[in-house]
Amino acid sequence: MKNKRYAIVLDTKRCIDCKACTVACKAENDVPVGRDNYRNWVDEEKLRGTYPNLGQSFTPSQCQHCANPPCAHVCPTKATVVSPDGIVHVIADKCIGCKYCQTACPYNARYYNEVIAAVDKCTFCSHRVYAGGMPACVETCPTKVRVFGDINDPNSEVSRLLAKNPSRVLKVAQGTKPHLFYLT
Amino acid sequence: MHPIFQHRPSRKLWFGLLSAGVVIGIIGALNVLINGHAHVYNVTREIPWGILIATYVFLVVSSTGLCLVSSLGHVFGIEKFEFIGKRAIILAIITLLCGFGTIGMEINHPIRLGIYAIISPNFSSAIWWMGTLYGLYLVLLSGELYFLMKGMHKGAFALGMAGFIAAISAHSNLGAVFGLLEARPFWYGSFLPIYFILSALVSGGAIVSMIVYFNHKESGTPMPQKYEDFMGTLGKLQALFLTILIFFVIWKIIPAVYGHPPEKFEATMATLTGPLAFNFWFFEVLLGMLIPVVILLNPRTRTPGGVMWAGLLSTFGIFFMRFDLVVAGQLVSMREGAADLTNGLLSYVPSITELAIVIGAISLCLFLYTLAEHLLPLDVEEDH
Repeated sequence: MKNKRYAIVLDTKRCIDCKACTVACKAENDVPVGRDNYRNWVDEEKLRGTYPNLGQSFTPSQCQHCANPPCAHVCPTKATVVSPDGIVHVIADKCIGCKYCQTACPYNARYYNEVIAAVDKCTFCSHRVYAGGMPACVETCPTKVRVFGDINDPNSEVSRLLAKNPSRVLKVAQGTKPHLFYLT
Repeated sequence: MHPIFQHRPSRKLWFGLLSAGVVIGIIGALNVLINGHAHVYNVTREIPWGILIATYVFLVVSSTGLCLVSSLGHVFGIEKFEFIGKRAIILAIITLLCGFGTIGMEINHPIRLGIYAIISPNFSSAIWWMGTLYGLYLVLLSGELYFLMKGMHKGAFALGMAGFIAAISAHSNLGAVFGLLEARPFWYGSFLPIYFILSALVSGGAIVSMIVYFNHKESGTPMPQKYEDFMGTLGKLQALFLTILIFFVIWKIIPAVYGHPPEKFEATMATLTGPLAFNFWFFEVLLGMLIPVVILLNPRTRTPGGVMWAGLLSTFGIFFMRFDLVVAGQLVSMREGAADLTNGLLSYVPSITELAIVIGAISLCLFLYTLAEHLLPLDVEEDH
């Protein structure tokens, strides 16, 4: 049997920029307060058009759990590792705080967490996922922007969404092979 | 105490200033240890590398440059350069150690680094190679110094050659620490590893000109012909290094503005017309390159004093080159919709504590070097 390969599919048309995902993530993962400290975020795209014909989109995001993660390549002590299920983890004890991974990540998905004394980032809430649950950002979203699942299972909801809809990844030219898929 | 240093009040002032600088640095370091990095540094999630990384780069570029320029004498056999060997190698060791100290204050867990770099090495990491190659380089420099002090020329040649190779490897790899980051178009590519070697030569030549000039000035006697000749030759060589450097700078800019390549263009414009423009045009271009080149190309100003001034100005300029290089590479946000942007760019201004540590590191370098001048027999004439 194939490994699981976790991914998130996002339908950003549903996003209302309420930032419940950011709040849920902070609460779930004990992310300290402070400007720099967050594991996921909602970027506001530029306002389109002129009044009264206006539009705006929002792009919620987090660690892309890349299949070719630059953060793992640059870490001098192998503190960043990729699980067989695709989740990119930081082993806090091995992190020396050089921040090389922060300069290497094209998504700015990482920050230095003073409490755990290591660089920190989204883990797809692996502690919940391995216990059979969903990531906090997925579960809390009022409009169900994010769908989480195993793309190696052809019957999972993420696989079906990706089969039926065209999608894109962020900064495809970086060659990082991200596993956050945005429906277009 | 070395007799030439006795009864000179300027010595006391010099040591007093440097001691004050070191104390400022110690206060800064204590502030970090007590309050934590996040509370006293102005580096952020988006710009995690600040002036301490820039100062580290400045110091290790100086070290490499000193090693390269001194190797012209005892490795490549240019006799005029042989007499600078001991001084250049001692200062190369001191600048390297102070560089390590500076980066040690920037990273959060230097002790973990010592442990996990050995038991969990990642050979694909340029920072792992940086630590390893500079460590090797430090060992070779120390051996080279030992042989030079003992007057063992064969040993000094062998370790000098090995040190030269280690210096080039370590230093081009330092360029690769930045150059391997595809996420940072301003840094990415093979330019920086190559540029770092050239700019090390400029740094090394500049610092050697100051060592020779001030070391002699201390003696209070007229400069011997040998030193004057050396300064003249060094001045010409330095003019060559600087003119080549100017072309490196120009060709770094042209592809970055031609056709507006995304992110690289914005970062480059930050140095040309944006927040780093004053640093670039005044410190890097005018003080660091143009004025020194003019001094060095004109035979009337290419006096020992002129060559020293050119070196001093270049060294100032080079510090800003390092700062601008490190900061500009991070000014463009990785995320288009990110908040906190000023004219589309992120911003970074060093904190007082960061500045204090920089002052401390540079003061400590000068302090240790002056001490070495006092305590060690560094004049080389009697060896031959």
